[in-house]
Amino acid sequence: MTYFRVNEKCNGCLSCVENCPASALSFNDEDDRRTLKHNMTKCARCGQCWRVCPQKAIEFQHLLVGQWDDVVTLDLIRCQVCGEPLYSTAYLQKLAAELDSTREALCPQHRQRQAASKWPLVGPGKTKSKLRDK
Amino acid sequence: MIVGDLKPLAEIVSAIKEYKQVLVLGCGSCVTVCLSGGEREAEQLSHELSQIRHYQGTPPKFEVGSILRQCEEDLVLEYQAIPAGTDAILSLACGAGVQTLADAHDPLPVIPALNTTFLGASAKPGNWTEMCRGCGDCVLAFTGGICPVARCAKSLFNGPCGGSQNGSCEVGLDTPCAWAMIFYRLKRQNKLYLLEKIRPLKDWRPGGAAGPRTRVRIGLGDGSK
Repeated sequence: MTYFRVNEKCNGCLSCVENCPASALSFNDEDDRRTLKHNMTKCARCGQCWRVCPQKAIEFQHLLVGQWDDVVTLDLIRCQVCGEPLYSTAYLQKLAAELDSTREALCPQHRQRQAASKWPLVGPGKTKSKLRDK
Repeated sequence: MIVGDLKPLAEIVSAIKEYKQVLVLGCGSCVTVCLSGGEREAEQLSHELSQIRHYQGTPPKFEVGSILRQCEEDLVLEYQAIPAGTDAILSLACGAGVQTLADAHDPLPVIPALNTTFLGASAKPGNWTEMCRGCGDCVLAFTGGICPVARCAKSLFNGPCGGSQNGSCEVGLDTPCAWAMIFYRLKRQNKLYLLEKIRPLKDWRPGGAAGPRTRVRIGLGDGSK
């Protein structure tokens, strides 16, 4: 993803390179080609390049509003009842190691229901009157 | 970095209730990092201000935006669209951003949502401490890198006052005495002799006492050549 972009008006004058306070712009002349280079980690997004460009070639909006970059994609564990996304497989492994046990993949709501169903006095289908009859 | 605090909600409501459509505008730099005026805070503030319970009449309609820096007039004019019908901007920037917006969009009212508070640093996540007053005549070279202007409650220049107690300032036990810190750091550096030197009275004119400060840097914009 290139955040620093120029339009077709760029004529390679290097005003932006010379005026970048953060030394985030550079160029490379090789054979018969000039390449303008940008280093996002140095860039302060100060906009001086955009201000000084005599050609109005710098499309600074790409440094203000950009796209999202995918960083990492991991396998996902979902609630086995309702399918709600819970956590990644890698997170589950870390969790299992920390707890020294594996937990069923349940969302908070279904974990609560499962816990309640194991306790017959408050389990589903029990009413106060039925409990009193016992 | 510039640290700001959100104003009390009642004060903000009082300032915007007369308008029909307000642009709530976050600033993407200092106040984003110190969690007081970024895009997320602008969204949250807009949501809260939309609640009808804050108003006796009809609440204004709110739009939300955010731009990397509000303190550069050409940038906000070029890249921050003002929605049609906006009759006021509620800015979550520092005072520099609010005033830049007000100049850029004169006569559109620009209302501050933050109190710009101090120039600070973050020694640990979630904490910011005032470090600098921008006095224009830095003394850190002979105070062990600890600013007596910003970090001494009295901005003293010649050592601690009588309120310094066991390294704490008299304003509160949680506030370290700047001069105690200066002394012990210079002692660790074997540079206590720096405190023995007689120095001229501090000139406060570079600190703003001579009017608003401006700088022109040769090589940029109108300052070139």
